Amino acid sequence: MMDEKNLQAIVEEIWPRLKKKHFYPEIPIPKLGKIPDPVRDDAEQNQGVGLEMKQKQITINPAFISKMKDKMPEGQVIEALLDHGITHYTFCPWDFHTHLMLYAEAKKVVNDKELAKQVADYFIDVIADTHCVKTGFTEIPQLHRNLIKGKVEEVIASLYQKIWGIDLGISRSRTTGERHEEIVRRLARIPYLDRSRWPESIQKFARSIKLLLIGEQKKQENKGGKGESNPQGEHDLNNYSFEEIDQGLRDYVRKTMALSEFRDIVEDFSEELKEVGYGMEGGMGRGRGAPIDADILFYMKLAENYSIPLKKIPQEEKGSLHPHSHSPWEVGSPFQDVDIWTSFGKIMPGITQIWRKREGKGRGKIEGTPDCLIAIDSSGSMINPRKNLSYAVLGAACATNAYLRNDSKVAVYNFSDAPMGGKDILNFTDKREEIYRVLCKYFGGGTALDLEDLTPLIRGRKNLDLFIITDMKITNLEALIGFLGQIQNRITVVHIGENPYASRFEKAVEKKKNINIFTVKRKEDIPHIVLGSISEYFNFTQIKNP
Amino acid sequence: MKAAPTQNKTLAIPSDKDGLTVKNPFEEFKAFHFKKIEIPLDQIVQSTEMVMDRIRQGYEKLLEEEAKELVWMVQYNTIIKAYEVAERYVKEIDYSAEDIEDFCFVLENTQKIPYLIPGPAGIYISALCNYVQEEEIVLKLAELKTEINLVGFRLPKGKRLVIEGDTGDFTGIGLEGGELVVEGNAKNWTGAGMRGGKILVRKNIGLHTGEWMMGGEIYVGGRVRGLGNIVEGKVFERDKLIYPGKVRYPNLYY
Repeated sequence: MMDEKNLQAIVEEIWPRLKKKHFYPEIPIPKLGKIPDPVRDDAEQNQGVGLEMKQKQITINPAFISKMKDKMPEGQVIEALLDHGITHYTFCPWDFHTHLMLYAEAKKVVNDKELAKQVADYFIDVIADTHCVKTGFTEIPQLHRNLIKGKVEEVIASLYQKIWGIDLGISRSRTTGERHEEIVRRLARIPYLDRSRWPESIQKFARSIKLLLIGEQKKQENKGGKGESNPQGEHDLNNYSFEEIDQGLRDYVRKTMALSEFRDIVEDFSEELKEVGYGMEGGMGRGRGAPIDADILFYMKLAENYSIPLKKIPQEEKGSLHPHSHSPWEVGSPFQDVDIWTSFGKIMPGITQIWRKREGKGRGKIEGTPDCLIAIDSSGSMINPRKNLSYAVLGAACATNAYLRNDSKVAVYNFSDAPMGGKDILNFTDKREEIYRVLCKYFGGGTALDLEDLTPLIRGRKNLDLFIITDMKITNLEALIGFLGQIQNRITVVHIGENPYASRFEKAVEKKKNINIFTVKRKEDIPHIVLGSISEYFNFTQIKNP
Repeated sequence: MKAAPTQNKTLAIPSDKDGLTVKNPFEEFKAFHFKKIEIPLDQIVQSTEMVMDRIRQGYEKLLEEEAKELVWMVQYNTIIKAYEVAERYVKEIDYSAEDIEDFCFVLENTQKIPYLIPGPAGIYISALCNYVQEEEIVLKLAELKTEINLVGFRLPKGKRLVIEGDTGDFTGIGLEGGELVVEGNAKNWTGAGMRGGKILVRKNIGLHTGEWMMGGEIYVGGRVRGLGNIVEGKVFERDKLIYPGKVRYPNLYY
């Protein structure tokens, strides 16, 4: 057996050529290492796994190369595996969002988590390999000619023969006749290389291959095994970094905006997501073991897609802030803190850096962001955020993010019939998960505020912003009007729909300069209208108080 | 007024002697020519697209003609007329059973099809099935959100149409000796006016089953909700003959 040093030398020799062929992907040089077979323990008897990708690091299994060496030269095996692996980064799935989308579309057809994962894996592999064959010289066909194949792999190889026009040594008799021919005929009609049609294409792929996969799954269950592992490597969350997964989840919620779909996805990938750090024990992103609250994660990721600019107001502080240290810039962080010199003039997560400021000695007025008290109505007339997408919760979530990003704290007063106990109060905190958990709580029933609950939260805080989201059908509206009339804080009120209560409220507070009211006629407009209007509101203040 | 500078501004690239030569990072791509390799997939996809365009055009023409009716009623004359129009377009296209399945999914895509009228759509799909070369047509429609009406209309002898999924009203009406298999449920008026052949519904069937059927057999794996006025033919419910027989009476709903 060729030792690992020699194989590494082959990798180093072919790597520059491969990089050029794939237009210089941003991935490190592949390394060699033992890859455990995730499916079978008797890796000695089968061909095992040839490739593994973890957080962009490609690892090649020397044992796999050794087993293949009688069939094709080591260099060719390595090149074929690397072509395949690199294409996952450069073409399909490209990012975690695409991976999730493909999985979700497949699941719509097969209605089974394991089958959907299999369908997505096969589909991704077909695209990657076909892309390689289409775009240039590759050893992938040679590799497929020499791989040991199960029933499904034979069908896929027959498909390759048909769509690549290359003989892979699969005869009609081997594909057990007409039934498989029909599957191949259906599969061959799919426009694999048309990215814009991947959602419909994977559904068609799943429809065509579903029965075959179910048959194989049953066979494996009867045998008591899990089937064969993928010699070209498994596709799971290990392929992606935490940031990629986070971005993928964010993109997925933004594009689907469907709570139930997202919940299904999170449940299906819960184990993997917990592995990478999503768990609710002690906070999302910390701890393992506790179930992931998919609903909270949904609002969290969706809110991250929006950004509210906050106008800072003069605050009395000891001393002034001065740049102290750097930290990575995240999407939504204030631009004014970006250090252009260390960021190379680029606004890009991973490259851009912001200044972290620290308070120095001295005394005077500096600009700062106040804390915020969010009062959210969760009475029966509001949407249950755990059943459907609640734009009220989304709006509050966006506001939460804006204040937390500016190092302020947020308190939440979630109310329905508060005097009767329909309320949840969270004191000022910067713990995002806790805030979201209270925002997502739903009481139903009537709507009444208990103003005594609000007083301790407001007392002694001169610079406190109030953010209220309600449909205004509050039974003690007059008391609320009176209460808001007494305080001088900046108050943003968002009410949903036109109703006599809302008109009464508007009329009562029209002379109060510190209260801004936004009427939302279509609930779906809340994130846009609220965010846009708040931005106007703060800009307006800026002009008034330059 | 300032005179325009006469000297051309050029990027000054430090020379080698300064030891600061900046190499163009794209230098090695200077002679690069992207070679487009044709693979059979391109051809297959292209021809599939062309066939689909023609099928779609045929459907749109049918819709244009049927739109004149304003309200599309399922009446004997309306169906016959629409079918004749559909036949005319379908005969001119060379397509396969897979194209029919693809078309069923295209029907749901509002970007590709202006509007879906269940009646004409079903008639058009039936015409496609009746004129396709293959004798056995399998349509995997389980994920289709819309149940197609009138599917299997006039299915001729020698053809076998398998629908994986549910079908709408008027399934297999006027069947002319073919075999129609519905792997899911079928709605009302299934097999109405059929003259011969076999309809097999694996799950349940709706009201007016076999209304005015003149021959043939209907097999139902689940429950028959109601029989129509049957002239001739047989209806089985879970392998039990329910027509002709005294077990069930016409128009009895249960």
